[in-house]
Amino acid sequence: MIHLKNIEKVYRTATIETVALNNINLSIEKGEFISIMGPSGCGKSTLLNIIGLLDEPSKGNVEIGGKYTIGLPDKELAKFRNHTLGFIFQSFHLINDLPVIDNVELPLLYRSVSGNERRRLASEALEKVGLSNRMKHYPNQLSGGQKQRVAIARAIVGQPEIILADEPTGNLDSNMGNEIMDILTHLNRDDKATIVMVTHDENMAKRTHRLIRLFDGSQVS
Amino acid sequence: MLKHLFKLIWKRKKSNSLMVLEIFFSFLILFAVWTLAVYNYKNYAHPSGLQTDNVWVAFIDFHAPNDTVKMQYKELVKQQMERYKAVKSFAFSSTNAPFTFSSSNNQFEYNKKKVMSEVMSVEPAFPDVMGIKLAEGRWFTKADEVAKFRPIVITRHLKNELFGNENAIGKIINEGESDNTPTKVIGVIDFFRHKDDFQPLSNCTFVPAGRWEDTMLMKVAEGSGAELEAQIAKGITQLGKDWSVEIQQMNNMKANRNNLVLVPIIILSIVCGFLIFNVALGLFGVLFQTINRRRQEIGVRRAMGATQKAILIHFIGETVVIATLGLILGLFFAIQFPLLNVFDLEASVYLTGMLLAVLSVYGLVTICAFYPSRQASVLHPATVLHEE
Ligand SMILES: Nc1ncnc2c1ncn2[C@@H]1O[C@H](COP(=O)(O)OP(=O)(O)OP(=O)(O)O)[C@@H](O)[C@H]1O
Ligand SMILES: [Mg+2]
Repeated sequence: MIHLKNIEKVYRTATIETVALNNINLSIEKGEFISIMGPSGCGKSTLLNIIGLLDEPSKGNVEIGGKYTIGLPDKELAKFRNHTLGFIFQSFHLINDLPVIDNVELPLLYRSVSGNERRRLASEALEKVGLSNRMKHYPNQLSGGQKQRVAIARAIVGQPEIILADEPTGNLDSNMGNEIMDILTHLNRDDKATIVMVTHDENMAKRTHRLIRLFDGSQVS
Repeated sequence: MLKHLFKLIWKRKKSNSLMVLEIFFSFLILFAVWTLAVYNYKNYAHPSGLQTDNVWVAFIDFHAPNDTVKMQYKELVKQQMERYKAVKSFAFSSTNAPFTFSSSNNQFEYNKKKVMSEVMSVEPAFPDVMGIKLAEGRWFTKADEVAKFRPIVITRHLKNELFGNENAIGKIINEGESDNTPTKVIGVIDFFRHKDDFQPLSNCTFVPAGRWEDTMLMKVAEGSGAELEAQIAKGITQLGKDWSVEIQQMNNMKANRNNLVLVPIIILSIVCGFLIFNVALGLFGVLFQTINRRRQEIGVRRAMGATQKAILIHFIGETVVIATLGLILGLFFAIQFPLLNVFDLEASVYLTGMLLAVLSVYGLVTICAFYPSRQASVLHPATVLHEE
């Protein structure tokens, strides 16, 4: 499903050069649920952004679903993100000016889907995360755990094959974190979603199929 | 998508209402300027009906004690004018000759319908001097001086007001409050723009000159200049004791009158341009601020599958929707002008003014929105999503 080959990422500013990733080789199979751990600043988010086509590596190859993605035009990349990938962020990144249901519909806005169909799919996604009764609420009327569930609904509304989650439980207490993990586990087991999750929490990592450890930009296990 | 934009705009209605208001005022200003411009252009676009090239006007002060003496003096002048080969034709006219600053009006009545009209007393050669073409009937001649009816030529505008669709030629009408001379229409001309090039179609009546008309209009040969002007001025002055003569070129007189219309419009346009420029700068600033505040949202949209183009269109789209709200408000007020017929202009002038103002506003906001929206579209999603 996902193949990374000799990935290197270097951030260059006028004065300093930061090697964020160094010679990463990683293969993730369809239906896998893997977690990435490592100390702060070791390059976890950078790696996830590269898999998510939000960033390009300085060197190396990215292959997703049998397609090499380096150098694809913006339109192709956007389509890829829209159809194949779903994102979940640590700080939720919901649009505060839109009600929950519209937030969830967002990925479908960038496809040709009718308004009614959008609404139907978004309601379904919200049902999956147990938030059918909060559709008309605004994000700032929700708890952190609820916000993250909305974000998950948004990530799965387009039925992507791959879900990328960057510390999805990082801003939540352990109860809420476990709820989120339950949902992700469900999505992996029942909907066969491939999930790549960055986490700081060993307990969360234990619940995944495989753990990848990064240290200073390199893969250590 | 439009609904999506509306929701976002509605949620931010407080900050957007200021923009709506600015668009509203800009529209009204542009509406006023465009309507004025359209009105004047429309008038300018139809034929003037007269030719001012190489037409000179001699203002003669005879110091005549009475009209009988003046009549004799005028004969002397005419004889003198015949001597200049370069003068193709000439005619005495009342002081309200074309492009002078004077005006003379009277009321005409037909079938109980009363209409005001400019009245010019002119000699039969007047149409030759001014290059006037008749649309119907004929101009009056010397032979008409002894006719039973006083012959007049009228503009089509007056003909339509007095007679509607009826034929005007041969109609007997009354001039003034208590008119003894029965007056008969013998000719109609389509156009006669005599105040300035922006004068609307208007009522004008030409009546045969009598004794007192002392403004001499002449058509001179192409290329005649100061030399001929001096010759004529001198030739006329020496005919009488303390006569004075001033000769002006009608093209210059017309230009002066045109400036009286154009200068205020130009000043108004500059003031408006300045106002609109300020509004544009304001819009520009507000948009930059908005987009800066919404960097993460932009990152999220990109992550969810928005192309750069989609982001560009999104932000231009939001601005256009806001502009539309301001325009709807503005149009509501603007439409009252033709509905209530505020300034007695044709509805089409207002409607064209509205259309042009709407297009200007859309053009303006699109230009203002383009650069900030472009900046938004090229934001790097990984970077903005990483910011707190
Ligand atoms: N846009 C950037 N410009 C320069 N350096 C960057 C940029 N983004 C990340 N880095 C650097 O790259 C390295 C890896 O950053 P990254 O965000 O991937 O770390 P992380 O493992 O996700 O850390 P955390 O656990 O704190 O989220 C860090 O040293 C960081 O300073
Ligand atoms: Mg990180």
